[in-house]
Amino acid sequence: MPPLEETLLAAALLLLAALSLFDRHLVRACSWFVTFALVVALAWARLGLVWLALLELVLGALLTGAFLFHALGMTPLVRRPRGFFARWHDPLPLTWRLALARLLPALVVLAMLGVALAALGEGVGSLRPAGFVLLGLGLWAFALHRHLLRRLLAFNVIGTGIFLLLMSLAEPAALPAAHGLVITGLVVALLGTALGALLVRRLEALEARHGARARTHGHPA
Amino acid sequence: MSQGWLPVFTLATSLLVAPLILLLPERAGRARAVVNLAAAVLKLLLVALLVLGFYQGRDYTFGFTVVEGVSFLLQVDALGLMFAGLSSLLWLATTVYAIGYLEDSPNRKRFFGFFSLCVASTVGIALAGNLFTFLLFYELLTLSTYPLVVHRGHDKALAAGKVYLRYTLTGGLVLLLGVVALHALVGDVAFGQRERLADLGPEAHPMLSVLFLVLLLGLGVKAALVPLHGWLPRAMVAPAPVSALLHAVAVVKAGAFGIVRLVYDVYGISLVHELGLLTLLSVVATVTILYGSVKALSQQELKPRLAYSTVSQVSYIVLGISLFGPFGTIAGLVHLMHQGLMKVTLFYCAGNYAEELGIHRIEDLDGAGRRMPLTSMAFTVGALGMIGLPPIAGFITKWYLGMGAVQAGMPWVIGVIATSSLLNAAYFLPILHRLWFRQGRGRWPEERRLGRYETSAWLLLPTAATALFSILVGLLAGVPFSPLDLATFMATKEYLP
Amino acid sequence: MIERLGLSPATAPLEHQAALWVVLGLPLLLGALGAVVRPARTWPVVVAGMLPLLALGWLFAEVAGGAGRSAVTEFGPLTLHWRINGLTLLLLLLSGVIALASAIYAPAYLREDVEASSRGQAWFWPLLGLLSSSLMLIWLAADLLLLYIGLELMGLTAVGLMLLPGKAEALVAGLRYLLLALVGSLAFLLGVALLLGAWGRLDLAGLAEAAEPGAPLWVAVALLSGGLLLKAAAFPLHAWLAPVHASAWIPVSALHAGLVIKASFFIALQLWLLLVPAAALAAWAMGGLAGAAVIWGGVMAWRSVKLKEMVAWSTVSQLGYLLLAFPLLVGTGSAVADLAWQGTWLQLAAHGLAKAAMFLAAGNLILATGESRVEGLAGASRRFPISLLSFGMAAISLVGLPPSMGFTAKWLLLHAALAGGHWPWVAVLAVGTLLSAAYVFRIFRYCFIEDAPEYEFRRVPLGMDAIALLLALAALLLGLAAAWPVTLLRGAGGEP
Repeated sequence: MPPLEETLLAAALLLLAALSLFDRHLVRACSWFVTFALVVALAWARLGLVWLALLELVLGALLTGAFLFHALGMTPLVRRPRGFFARWHDPLPLTWRLALARLLPALVVLAMLGVALAALGEGVGSLRPAGFVLLGLGLWAFALHRHLLRRLLAFNVIGTGIFLLLMSLAEPAALPAAHGLVITGLVVALLGTALGALLVRRLEALEARHGARARTHGHPA
Repeated sequence: MSQGWLPVFTLATSLLVAPLILLLPERAGRARAVVNLAAAVLKLLLVALLVLGFYQGRDYTFGFTVVEGVSFLLQVDALGLMFAGLSSLLWLATTVYAIGYLEDSPNRKRFFGFFSLCVASTVGIALAGNLFTFLLFYELLTLSTYPLVVHRGHDKALAAGKVYLRYTLTGGLVLLLGVVALHALVGDVAFGQRERLADLGPEAHPMLSVLFLVLLLGLGVKAALVPLHGWLPRAMVAPAPVSALLHAVAVVKAGAFGIVRLVYDVYGISLVHELGLLTLLSVVATVTILYGSVKALSQQELKPRLAYSTVSQVSYIVLGISLFGPFGTIAGLVHLMHQGLMKVTLFYCAGNYAEELGIHRIEDLDGAGRRMPLTSMAFTVGALGMIGLPPIAGFITKWYLGMGAVQAGMPWVIGVIATSSLLNAAYFLPILHRLWFRQGRGRWPEERRLGRYETSAWLLLPTAATALFSILVGLLAGVPFSPLDLATFMATKEYLP
Repeated sequence: MIERLGLSPATAPLEHQAALWVVLGLPLLLGALGAVVRPARTWPVVVAGMLPLLALGWLFAEVAGGAGRSAVTEFGPLTLHWRINGLTLLLLLLSGVIALASAIYAPAYLREDVEASSRGQAWFWPLLGLLSSSLMLIWLAADLLLLYIGLELMGLTAVGLMLLPGKAEALVAGLRYLLLALVGSLAFLLGVALLLGAWGRLDLAGLAEAAEPGAPLWVAVALLSGGLLLKAAAFPLHAWLAPVHASAWIPVSALHAGLVIKASFFIALQLWLLLVPAAALAAWAMGGLAGAAVIWGGVMAWRSVKLKEMVAWSTVSQLGYLLLAFPLLVGTGSAVADLAWQGTWLQLAAHGLAKAAMFLAAGNLILATGESRVEGLAGASRRFPISLLSFGMAAISLVGLPPSMGFTAKWLLLHAALAGGHWPWVAVLAVGTLLSAAYVFRIFRYCFIEDAPEYEFRRVPLGMDAIALLLALAALLLGLAAAWPVTLLRGAGGEP
């Protein structure tokens, strides 16, 4: 891949990741994420990893996207998000306690990783820095958000960052193993997101029923 | 090899009876009584068989490896036989007593189940061939006595159970630490292999001293050595047969028996003497004897008074051990048996008074001798024995203790014995006075007519039997197979160089 | 250590790899079958559940007497590594037995528990099969890719099983569990990525040979351990455990506390022993965590209001004993390590059996009294003697009193700590014993209350009592028969 194109791709990835993580509008954030996954698939394809690209397209973009929108209560017919998760205040205000408990471990992980990567020597191309920054962005978002969907997004972004790192670290001899790891990771990410999305829907249904019951108890019809 | 199974059978009679009893329905009182008594008689016979075989020089050893370097070992020696004989004899008596005592009370199934387990652990302690096996049954004893202590299920019983567990489990843990540390030092030591520790040489002596103290601490809890005795008076809330068992045979004796094993069979008395730990033992024993007696004086209820008397009396065993020489050893060993017989009699009597007349406090005993003459006679025998009047069992102990003190060059111990005997008299004679020489008030706190005689025959029979035994072992002390004979055999043939 | 873990390069290959596939696949198949048939009675489950054990018997026969076996599967350009040795066999057997016990317990439980939703019931069997298969995979795997697959499969299935009750509390606790499990797997993957990047291989034996100390190794091991310890609920990453168990189904709790947590611990310990076998200082830090876990878990168990909460917190505490394996095995002499090796796996097996038995017994008590608080047990000793007896026998093993397996394990660990002069770990074991006695006997104290009000209670099916009793008996009596598992551990390639 020519350097310029690679840099452009990396920049696009980072931008999309940041948008999907920090956009205040949840539906938009999920859309950004789908775009992000598509660009990742493109990146894999440009690197000659066609199978990976295909999997990323199906698992990472299509299915994960579907589950995310399902969690928001949106279908092709219903365009407005429903449920209380859509109205959750996020991110959390940054306090000292939060910074110590959440951000510090994230920073420690990043620092350790930086040290290790430095010791492993320079990689070629911008895949590795992109992965590293994605990881950082994801960790930051994960630490600051309590909203489950936001966290799932962050989890997916971190996962993608790790996949990028993994592929950049793997020597040619180790490529099959790296493929195996990434494919497993993709499936796990999808399953985790799906489980989370289903949970969100289920909790909302319970909440709605509970709320309805509370209302009827409160105001005898 | 087939003979190795005899100790296992002896153990199994009560170990396997426990689940059987737990399986029988609560209503099946008669079946339970039959099973219990049959097992108790069978066990007594098996122990008798073991004694016979032992005198013929047969070897009963049973063992297998648990993990490398740790083995489960049952073996038969004179000391173990004595303890096994005592516990199986008193088990039979106490079973009879408990059947009468607990008639129509709830949860008998649970009671007798754990009662059997408790005796199984006592016999296991007696036949254990190494510290690992000893520890195994020692902890099992703790577990099986807990449901008995809290049997009544009211707040006081539950609180006593808590205290009991706190003491015994901590003691068990300390013992475990000591045993494991000893294993780490010398490996698996079967009882009687005294040279293993002695061969370690003088550089190991500081470590050995520390370990001795740790082990003593662990065993001292059950032996109720001051200041580790706190659980014993509180455990008095349990039903009378349990108190009898706790104090006369199982728990307290297990501790004392453990100390005997530790001194004679693990370390060897010479090594302990060499380490200079005998003096410590004698001081601890003296303090316990005097403290227990003084505390007993101030108790106004019968069972706590007996409990503190136990604290004091059990330490005669430790005192005997600490007197280096054959007489001291004999005194310690023989008291293991004697104290059991006398104390169990006293507790049976206390139970009889409580059941028949509702008497718990000593001041209510006025004139009870006329109302319950047999029980009161048994009580008198036990009390006089404790004081040390010939020809009852207690006299033999005190006599040998005195001679042991002279032999060991510790004449001050005679002073201790004399003081303690005076104190014994001071807390027992007033009770005897009330029983026989005071006029009753005409009304008892809560009179129930339990049987044709002064009380139910189930209660009376064991009481009379153990009282009789207390006299017999004193009177016939010179006859072969008497406790004194056994103790002399052990002291001269096995334990002393 | 490589030999002990059955990873020495000289191990003979497995003759019939089919045995391996049968052991791995059979639980999955039976789970799928269960989803279709939905057994409502116990005996079909007993019959079907015996099959995996038979398959295990085949594997035993394959390995019999030899010094362990290894196997390699070529999968396109990918090479997957397997190993079978004494330790593996022991763990396979343990998971087979506990999974079978949970499965046998389940039909009656699902019938009795009125709140068990039928939709959840449909999912129970396939998830159970998947969980057993993934556990087997973890025990058998000898490369990081297989371990990753097994770990993720296990984690997600465990979350799924925990969510089955479908109640709000279960969902909220499950959500938390899901997120933490995902974070744990990310950390694990990152660690694996670093190892792959640094040495270009994932097979454990090769990595153990190739790995050199340095920043990549340390960071990788830190990430791997962090992720795994999070999944193992090791202190201070344990907070998710008690809420998850509080609302889960009983057979699921038994399986989870008995096995799932252990699998993460197993992987972590294995990686330490292979990659950083001399990191004594870090291992001591782990020992510190172990001590904190034992104490904190014990105190929380002692103070817990609900019965299941107490059992769950006791898992945290008992896991501390297992964590002691790090300081006792990493960077110690061979005499100490030998004792600690046996003690650790015995402790794992003992806790697995005892905790499963305890959960099942607690479930029986809760079903019978209809009361989940500890106070609801007042007077239980008279009304549910068998459930209480099972609970008690399991408790004896947890406290580590003789003759239980927990006792033998504690003995070995104590011996190892004393032999090595590691006094802090002796203290941890001692304090743990006292604390566990405190929380366990607190339960009994309630059970022996006599003047309790007569709550309404219902009778639990005999089968449910029997299965708890059998497991508890195994935990109680196997302590004296520990020679067999220890021989297994030492033989079949376990000899150093």
